[in-house]
Amino acid sequence: MKFTIGNFLVQEIRFGANTSYKKGLLTINKSEALAVVCEDDHITEADLYLVHPGDDVRLLPVKDAVEPRIKLDGAPLFPGVTGQMVQCGEGITHALKGCSVVVVGQQWGGYQDGVIDMGGEGAKYTYFSQLHNIVLVADTDEAFEQKELQKKNSALRRAGLRLAEYIGSAVKTMEPEKMEQYEMVPVADRVIPLPKIALVLQVQSQMEKPGYNTLCYGWDCNHMVPTFINPNEILDGAMVSGSFMPSSSKWSTYDFQNFPMIKRLYQEHGKTLNFIGVILSNLNVESDQKERSTLFVVNMAKTLGIDAAIVAEEGYGNPDTDFTSCLVALEDAGIKTVGLTNECTGKDGRSQPLVYMHEKADAIVSCGNVSELIELPPAKIVLGNLQALARDGMSGGWADDELLGPSVRPDGSIIMENNAMFCGDQVVGWSTKTVKEF
Amino acid sequence: MKKAIVYLNQFFGQIGGESTAGHQPAIKEGGIGPAQELNRQLQHAEVTHTVVCGDNYMVENEEEAVKQILELLSDKEFDIFISGPAFKAGRYGLACGAVNKAVHEAFSVPVITSMHTENPGVDLYKKELIIFSGGESVIAMDEDLKKLAVYADKILTNQPLGTAEEEGYHARGNRHQIWRDDQVCAADRVVDMLLKKIHDQPFESELPVPKRDNVPIAPPLSDLATARIAVLTSGGVVPVNNPDHIRSASATRWGKYSIEGMERLEADIFKTIHGGYDPTAIDADPNICVPIDVLRAYEAEGKIGHLYEFFYSTVGTGVTQSDAARMGREIVEDLLAVDVDAAIMIST
Amino acid sequence: MVKEVERAGIPIVQMANLVLVAKNTGANRIVPTISIPHPLGDPNTSKEEQWKVRHHRVGIALQGLTTDIQEQTVFAV
Repeated sequence: MKFTIGNFLVQEIRFGANTSYKKGLLTINKSEALAVVCEDDHITEADLYLVHPGDDVRLLPVKDAVEPRIKLDGAPLFPGVTGQMVQCGEGITHALKGCSVVVVGQQWGGYQDGVIDMGGEGAKYTYFSQLHNIVLVADTDEAFEQKELQKKNSALRRAGLRLAEYIGSAVKTMEPEKMEQYEMVPVADRVIPLPKIALVLQVQSQMEKPGYNTLCYGWDCNHMVPTFINPNEILDGAMVSGSFMPSSSKWSTYDFQNFPMIKRLYQEHGKTLNFIGVILSNLNVESDQKERSTLFVVNMAKTLGIDAAIVAEEGYGNPDTDFTSCLVALEDAGIKTVGLTNECTGKDGRSQPLVYMHEKADAIVSCGNVSELIELPPAKIVLGNLQALARDGMSGGWADDELLGPSVRPDGSIIMENNAMFCGDQVVGWSTKTVKEF
Repeated sequence: MKKAIVYLNQFFGQIGGESTAGHQPAIKEGGIGPAQELNRQLQHAEVTHTVVCGDNYMVENEEEAVKQILELLSDKEFDIFISGPAFKAGRYGLACGAVNKAVHEAFSVPVITSMHTENPGVDLYKKELIIFSGGESVIAMDEDLKKLAVYADKILTNQPLGTAEEEGYHARGNRHQIWRDDQVCAADRVVDMLLKKIHDQPFESELPVPKRDNVPIAPPLSDLATARIAVLTSGGVVPVNNPDHIRSASATRWGKYSIEGMERLEADIFKTIHGGYDPTAIDADPNICVPIDVLRAYEAEGKIGHLYEFFYSTVGTGVTQSDAARMGREIVEDLLAVDVDAAIMIST
Repeated sequence: MVKEVERAGIPIVQMANLVLVAKNTGANRIVPTISIPHPLGDPNTSKEEQWKVRHHRVGIALQGLTTDIQEQTVFAV
């Protein structure tokens, strides 16, 4: 399976007459773009903004981020979600690099939504602060969940996916500036004398009700047993981020499209290791579901002759049990493991970092502490609704606290836990954070 | 210039050897012995006094000795308190720990000390105190004093403090996120660790597994039929208006809600505010989480003596262990006050 | 929280789905529940079935409070 990404390096974005791209300048026809957003009747209001690294702008509640792309063969960018069911990860996809479509709720936030600060002290907490962002701020008629803590954010998230494809269409017929190629020869033909490695991805799938979990070709990952998937498929739109789990632990759709851990393994393939592929697993709430998934992962790894595996977890708390159990079970099967996750050590740093730990899970890379306290000055411009952080139960925010006061202060400054930083722990591999003893 | 006070035992305080280990606490002006050397090394503080106490006196009369020391310090002004270094000397290490802890609680000043990793004072006090990793014996004196002085200067001049590893003190189980100076990303760190593990080379986990602390098992109930049973939950079931404003994650509060006269928890009166799972089932029937209906049945048939007329609730997800322990203690106090004999905790 | 209650000498039984976590956090008497979002009654079954499951598991928990144990014990359901 050979997959080519033709990259266009965006350095500037403007609104203009035609949605087009020329030498680093991306121009977007705003009314055409908004028409794509409003194709869904559930969108009641929508506007677009352009923000850039260093701008004194705070975005919240952020629902998802998506890289603008287009597939040259006319296939939908997210098969099974935005269009028909076709294979991802083959052929050529064009991508606008250095930018993303960021979807922000105009009114309502929820447990799973996040904050992005484009400038100042807050910018270091999210990956998306360093990108040029096309910010969709919109409201919907999904009144049933406006006051719900857990929101599906369906209309908004799907609007983001459509918008990314519309903007991507600007470069469909153009010559890319930089090519990336990912080729996976069939497993049986990959006979190189190097340790065989699998990447186990435990994506967020803890909600029993439909509409909240990570999707694989549109399929709710709660309803699957772990499966073997070509990493190219993940890099090419097979996965759409869900709407559950405190934001800093989440993997956005952009994260799946660019998965640095996958790209890093490709880079190492044939040099120090033999990258066999990805075992796509999930995170569950019930013990038998957890055990079943672990069983499938281990069995698949053994069948593939895997020597060593990386297990990455999209979440914390209850799913730490899936994470640690999987590491332990792989170790018990003679497969060496490294875990990739974040921690919850509490504001005071004193809590047990994962709810379940085991001496066999002895090699873990840690990408941050979800409960680290963060205090940030007011931003000149807020896109979305600042009160969502305090009012709507965004994890990491609160209405009031005996010692700390409300998360959102009258002057617009905020105090929150890292939990609310949009995909802030970058467990997909970008994180330059770690956790240390003090 | 800031002021430092140093604590030493009888030997380093130049009172004498083992024969003077029963010496009672005394305070002297200026730095004595190691305190004098520390004074030389400190750039931003002066050692104004040295407290000296015999190791045996301290270990045998800890409470009294600590009280005497706090009394000796009560009229002194100081910005930092430094004990030892105690090396591998067990009694001295325990004394440094006890004194530092008490001084910090009484005067809210920073306190630091230094001990060898095998000193029993390390295990006993490392969670609460900064204890620098010291040498085995007096041979390491200069080096150990230097670490103390460098760190003291940093604290006193409000300079950024490094990690336990960088500064050289024993890890306290106090973990915070930092950005790595070398900016090596997680994907690179994973590959590096994986290759080392595959090739049986030493590697260091970024998340070492801590030791567990178990509590002694409480004795069983002798007679269920006369016992008063209370129900606790971390499932976040509260009256629908959440009167105590308990947060849906990282809760810092708990609530106590009456079930007097109720045969079961009704859905229009109670709901869950827990953010970590799908609330549908419990919202539709809160007894699924707080099983009042079946407990009332057991009460009616006489299997249990009495169901306590309130249940206790908080949200378990993301709560710090110290908040959980504090809430636990508060709830225990309440349970003891109302003569509850046993409890059932339902977690989600 | 369970530990604090136990520390005060009050016997406490923890009903939890994640037995591993309950053991990890140091609970001494543990009774498994059926799931996290519905610990004591599966909403996909009838009310009678839910009551039966709940009655059964709480009964085991109550029995657990009167059981003399020497180590962390997960009571079979």
